[in-house]
Amino acid sequence: MSARTSDDDFEVRIKIGGPAGFGIKAAGQTLARLFMRAGYRTFDLTEYPSLIKGGHNNYHLRVSSTEIFSHVEPVDVLVALDESTVGLHLNELTDDAAIIYDPKDFDIAEVAGIPTQVCAIPVPMTQIVADQGGPKIMRNTAANAAVLGYLGFPLETLADSLREQFAHKAPEIAEQNIAIATAAYEYGTKATCPHAPLTPLPDTEPQILVDGNEAIGLGALAAGLGMYCAYPMTPASSILHFMAKHGDANGVVVKHTEDELAAMNMVVGGSFAGARAMCGTSGGGFALMTEAYGLAGVAETPCVVAMISRPGPATGLPTWTEQSDLRMVLHAAQGEFPRVVLAPGDRQDSFDLAWQAFNIADQLQTPVIILGDAYLSDHRQSIAPFDPSVVTIDRGETITEGEVTDYQRFKITDSGVAPRAIPGVVGADMIANSYDHDEHGWSSEGAEMRIAQNDRRARKQELARELVPAPQRFGPDDADISIVLYGSTKMPVREAMKWLASQGVSVNMLQIVTLLPFPDEAVASFIGNAKKSVCIEGNMTGQLQGLIREKSLIDVDHALHRYDGRPISPEQVTAFIKELL
Amino acid sequence: MPEVTDYITPNAPTWCPGCGNHRIWEAMKRALSQLDMETHDWSHVWGVGCHGNGADFLRAQGFHSLHGRSLPVATGIALANPDLKVIVEAGDGDGYGLGMGHFVHTARRNIDLAYIVHNNQIYGLTTGQASPTSEHLMPSVSTPTGVLEQPVNPVGLALSEGATFVARGFAGDVDHLTDLFVQAISHKGFALVDVFQPCVTWNKVNTFKWFRDRVYKLEETDHDPSDRDAAFDLSLSTFHDLVCTPDECKVPVGVFYREEGVPTYNDGVPAAHEPLWKQAVQPRDVSALIEDLK
Repeated sequence: MSARTSDDDFEVRIKIGGPAGFGIKAAGQTLARLFMRAGYRTFDLTEYPSLIKGGHNNYHLRVSSTEIFSHVEPVDVLVALDESTVGLHLNELTDDAAIIYDPKDFDIAEVAGIPTQVCAIPVPMTQIVADQGGPKIMRNTAANAAVLGYLGFPLETLADSLREQFAHKAPEIAEQNIAIATAAYEYGTKATCPHAPLTPLPDTEPQILVDGNEAIGLGALAAGLGMYCAYPMTPASSILHFMAKHGDANGVVVKHTEDELAAMNMVVGGSFAGARAMCGTSGGGFALMTEAYGLAGVAETPCVVAMISRPGPATGLPTWTEQSDLRMVLHAAQGEFPRVVLAPGDRQDSFDLAWQAFNIADQLQTPVIILGDAYLSDHRQSIAPFDPSVVTIDRGETITEGEVTDYQRFKITDSGVAPRAIPGVVGADMIANSYDHDEHGWSSEGAEMRIAQNDRRARKQELARELVPAPQRFGPDDADISIVLYGSTKMPVREAMKWLASQGVSVNMLQIVTLLPFPDEAVASFIGNAKKSVCIEGNMTGQLQGLIREKSLIDVDHALHRYDGRPISPEQVTAFIKELL
Repeated sequence: MPEVTDYITPNAPTWCPGCGNHRIWEAMKRALSQLDMETHDWSHVWGVGCHGNGADFLRAQGFHSLHGRSLPVATGIALANPDLKVIVEAGDGDGYGLGMGHFVHTARRNIDLAYIVHNNQIYGLTTGQASPTSEHLMPSVSTPTGVLEQPVNPVGLALSEGATFVARGFAGDVDHLTDLFVQAISHKGFALVDVFQPCVTWNKVNTFKWFRDRVYKLEETDHDPSDRDAAFDLSLSTFHDLVCTPDECKVPVGVFYREEGVPTYNDGVPAAHEPLWKQAVQPRDVSALIEDLK
């Protein structure tokens, strides 16, 4: 029996493990979609090494009848597509967990350390696939069906999904898969330790299954994105794939460039010519983009950079997660110029901040970074559909057509923002310049002009405070523990807060959404009013904690760090908080 | 039609007296005038180097970009607004050193822009280091015992990467250079004009006299600019020993290769067929894409 959080609410955690190259993630997401459509909340987490074949991949799917915020560690149903999967995940199994496996692969009785109470469900997946003449990859269908059989979830949902998936290209493949599913489903239902039936929930609202990168992509498209340039780099590549897939139909120029230097410079050029322009990368790529990022600052070409972090330095742990690039993005590029760094904490934030980033960039005429990480960007959660009607476009003082007279692109203004005419506007003679410059844009090394232009740009940094999203507060006003964090750590902490609340522990949390300009007063006030304050972040050196000390002139009482490439888990947060009580 | 003087700014050129940059600037103004181009008809991009200081002297709607990065900035402009002609000026250190990768990729994409490289075979603005086109064994402050590498062959590289207009000019012949610029700017697709531009301050080898003694015009020969193999052979003929006499080495200038009617990169990108700012007037409807995630 799976974990029950109350008499009515319950959840089940499924993990599919096996070698890379067998479509484990895609298969798992098929399951996620079935459960989501049946009204359940889902949250998945894929672990995969940086290779294409072999190694060990696994896909963890949390399915709940009630609202959830993150992944969890335990496993109720382990689908072991090879023997090593069992050994690698034994310590995650709940007391009454089930293991679905193919007896042709290994003898489960021979696996060391198997708890006696584990429910072993042999399913001859290879034989079932062979009987239908299918390729080996169809073992995924057999595995999914066996899981559904064990959970008592209607087989028709999978059959319908297979028909939907293959309807256009090959109906006969759909039928072949359905035959495999039907046979495997039977083995699941014959488990000697049946699971309470997981039936579709009545009267639920529609949901979408979305990862952070798709959410950023949708937000950017909604905002009128015109140009997306990128060089592939995990975990940002899926934004490039998303844009490449939808670019033509939506009027977006999508360019996979020769390197990240070209990507960022191309974005600057596209923005100069009036496009809403964006690039996406991870730390290593952003290191290469840095000079052009500064160029965007001094040439005052608005643009958006999706900086999706992974563990560094250098190549680091390419497919894993970390929050160790905060200081890098805050300080990137030589010199001083106005900039904005926004950090989404979940998929809704990703959509919201993506479209808002373009407005902020245009209004300030400066680059805006969306700082994400693999945990947020690579994994899918079921959430309420995004509401595209909230999206607005504000291009600030941008002049896209017509004529200007006595034009000075970099005119000294009180607000700091000078009207930005794009090339093609009659009379808009100007030089966007990487050298510091006078009001026309012509290079200037005069001391007075240097100060005047620097001060004008600095006024835009102050103006940014009026435009950027405020920190988000969660939990009661008065709490035993107050947590401050940024980015994807929001998800496991919100989950832990739910658990702790049910155990009578009150916790509140401040999510810093805008890291630059830093909300120094709000953070100082939150920490100053806390009974016990904690900073939780996914890095080794406490980058956010140091930033708080620097900007808010206050320190937290405790800190929790994680830097093993794995996301902070709600179990880890809960255990840490309980020790502080 | 705009006069040549319509393209000047209040800023007097700061190049060394006698520098080839002055003449390239003059040829550019004449070419723009001949093509009847108003400043809103094109966008002009410079890299960083002595050539780049020209951004202050040419009236334009332009971008003085980073060292080595003029081409991706220009590509961004070309893809964002097909109504604008794009002209890029770069230097040999700028464009063939730091910017080499962008050069070959922009050529093979056939981005619709004219790429004018001020090739003085030395780093001028940083006071005389060897550049990627410095001649083999030429001494410089960064190579006191002489450059050990062979010089880059820009014309050959452009040809090998599919450039559709490849020419070489000489700053000592403004009329000829003006004509090359007119052709390059009028060409639809990637057009390289590599311009030999003697540096009167740092390069004591490849002087105006050195070139005058050796250049000859391709249009005065039987060279057929549609013959890519012949163009490639000619590009190799530019290589020579540092000490070659005028009899031993000759330097061809003019149009090496021209191919019209080749689809540009913009042609293959439907979104690039109209100015991209028009995409950001109203929020784009993404409701169908959201529906797909259900």
